Amino acid sequence: MTTLEVRDLTKSFRKLRAVDGVSFTLTAGRTVALVGASGSGKSTVARMIAHLVRPTSGEILLAGPDGEPVPRRAYRDHVQMIFQDPFASLNPFHTVEHHLARPLRLHGHSRADTAAEVIRLLERVSLTPDFARRRPHELSGGQRQRVAIARALAPGAKVIVADEPVSMLDVSIRLGVLKLLSRLQQEENLAVLYITHDLATARHFSDEVLVMHQGRIVERGPADEVLVRPADPYTRRLAAAAPRPEARFGPGGLT
Amino acid sequence: MTFSGKLGAGLGLAGFIVLFGLLGPLLTGDPATIRDVGLTAPGGEHLLGTTLTGQDVLAQLAHATRGSLWIGVLVGVMATVLSGIFGIAGAYAGGVVDEAFSLFSNVMLVIPGLPLVIVVAGFVPADRRGTWTIALVLAITGWAAAARVLRAQTLSLRNRDYVAAARVSGERTWRVICVEILPNLLPVLASQFVFAVVLAILSEAGLSFLGLGAANSSTLGTMLYYAQNGFALQREAWWWFVPPGLVIALFGGALALINFSIDEIVNPRLRDRARRERDVVAIDAEIAPAEPGAVLTVRNLNVVYQAATPVHAVKDVSLTLRRGEILGLAGESGCGKTTLAYAINRLHRPPAEVTSGSVRFSDVDVLALGPEKLREFRWVKLSMVFQGAMNSLNPVTPIRAQLQDVLRTHRPDMSTLDRNARCAEVLRLVGVDPVRLGAYPHELSGGMRQRVMIAMALLLDPQVMIMDEPTTALDVLVQREILNEIKRLRDELGFAVIFITHDLPLLLELSDRIAVMRDGEVVEHATAEEIYLRPQHPYTRQLLASFPSLTGEAGALTR
Repeated sequence: MTTLEVRDLTKSFRKLRAVDGVSFTLTAGRTVALVGASGSGKSTVARMIAHLVRPTSGEILLAGPDGEPVPRRAYRDHVQMIFQDPFASLNPFHTVEHHLARPLRLHGHSRADTAAEVIRLLERVSLTPDFARRRPHELSGGQRQRVAIARALAPGAKVIVADEPVSMLDVSIRLGVLKLLSRLQQEENLAVLYITHDLATARHFSDEVLVMHQGRIVERGPADEVLVRPADPYTRRLAAAAPRPEARFGPGGLT
Repeated sequence: MTFSGKLGAGLGLAGFIVLFGLLGPLLTGDPATIRDVGLTAPGGEHLLGTTLTGQDVLAQLAHATRGSLWIGVLVGVMATVLSGIFGIAGAYAGGVVDEAFSLFSNVMLVIPGLPLVIVVAGFVPADRRGTWTIALVLAITGWAAAARVLRAQTLSLRNRDYVAAARVSGERTWRVICVEILPNLLPVLASQFVFAVVLAILSEAGLSFLGLGAANSSTLGTMLYYAQNGFALQREAWWWFVPPGLVIALFGGALALINFSIDEIVNPRLRDRARRERDVVAIDAEIAPAEPGAVLTVRNLNVVYQAATPVHAVKDVSLTLRRGEILGLAGESGCGKTTLAYAINRLHRPPAEVTSGSVRFSDVDVLALGPEKLREFRWVKLSMVFQGAMNSLNPVTPIRAQLQDVLRTHRPDMSTLDRNARCAEVLRLVGVDPVRLGAYPHELSGGMRQRVMIAMALLLDPQVMIMDEPTTALDVLVQREILNEIKRLRDELGFAVIFITHDLPLLLELSDRIAVMRDGEVVEHATAEEIYLRPQHPYTRQLLASFPSLTGEAGALTR
């Protein structure tokens, strides 16, 4: 089982401590939600785990399926990231195929089986094979994010960091993308870090919730417990701030 | 890519000159052959006449064109490579490398090019001054400006998520630069290459004309140099100096045209500037009587983007906003909600056009207002908080000046004292300490800036405020504060609000009535309670189901 442990992770930008002593563990088959308002440091955590930002101190320990530590150069075979903005995370110049074929080639696929593997990846994210030839501007936001998910899966990664994967998408397609992520997670036994500011989806799509505020984790625990019965005052404020039409009109008409 | 007339003309002309330079020398014979027919006028055996020593001008022109083009291409390639190395690689590497490269480019930039070229060219003995030497000197003095542009572009590109994504997938640095970044710089590189070529040909002509060109070479510049030395002007031998001059001018012009077209391809906004000149408002003469209590009535409004294929962005929309009411306008990206808001305010610009319908404010026909009346109407009666407005404050003036500008424009008679008092008052209204009047936008948080924008919309006591996604960029805590503020202000001041957002739960909590928009149409329009308890349209239901409840059961969201 692949597990990723973050131990006492800290990142300082000049005087500001963006991330301050954060520790948690991602295990296969479980989704951990990292929630917080903007500026709480949650994206910096994601970027450190993706090796895009170097931590000031602390450790990121990755153990492979055999339980042995993964060497640094193999790290990216195991850990991949899904970015927030699908309009920015795909290169407008390249086709969808390029975006999927490159990580495949980089992670050991021969030229011969890459094309077939690209099609298989597209099918796994519910896109048809003809998407391979298209360029990002021909795709809707939801389709782009599906391509981004396929790209993260391409190296065969078992740890996925999803940094606000649906917050830039239209509301009517958000759930579809989240369900896709959730389905893939179960099928592939992935360890997922789901970063979001939306408490409701955090509750319904994760097993464990970490609430982050000013770089620190202020509350953690099973999703239902933390978000329905928050103990920390900050979590309570967050929970109370979300619009709740049911408070005005009672339970909704949708069943 | 559209094949515009400019590009066609540019490519045609440049292509012809290049062809002439390539094939001309093969067809015209030896340009150096001396005959005893000095200074013959064009015609007969010598199509473009002869020089003082009886050489054929056409043959010389063909060889000179070839020589100039060769220099141009050499310099173009070398300057582009240099600017690429110093601009792109430096910016991507960042840190000390970027600082050093950038400093070096800046130093090269402030060294005046032509004088240096003259000094260097003069320093190298004439017999060792080959084409390559001249090209090298021109390239070294000509790349710096391009490097700065490339650096700026690369700095913005390297922070794009797709570059980060490529790094996460394990791409090596050189591949990230060459495959992910470079292609997106191609339009810039192409236009800089073209510019470098033009500049090189002109500079070389200038140098040769001064007698500092490459030895034993034949370029358009040397041709002019010999014409000058042979007193062509005084002897009225125009056929000797006009053709090389003309070729230089035409080639420069052709490449400039190509450059313009590259700009248009890169920046599509330049393309339909011609169409943006007119602002037509078509109105239906008939205006339905307003409902009692209505402050804003929109009837059967249609807005069409008059593009090559017209886009019907707002279709037959009818809305009524009553005094003191909050009307929610719900819809996703591209549904026409912002276009509708702009049309109500007459802020839409061509190619958007109101094709039919009416907008009535109390008893004023908004679509029929003349420019002066429109100015009095906007902001005074109806103000707007734009999407992403908090980023539209001017960063270089304190917010006091920006608030006062509105008053100065619309209330010119107001005294300075009253103006200050009013600015402080509206800030207090939105919960910002008036001490902050002296602050610059960057000194305020996002939520604070958004409050300032709302204060600005409140300045003139409007009866209606249109707010386009005013809280979308803010986090939930700040959004909650702003929403409470809007509700409180509405209760205190009694203005009506059109609140535009994709966030239906927010509207359900905030608004009195809600209009749900999809593909330019209002598909459902009812009270918030009706929409929440008994949604009729399938799309409304889909939107409602898209927002899981924090406290409720997962419902449709079972994993």
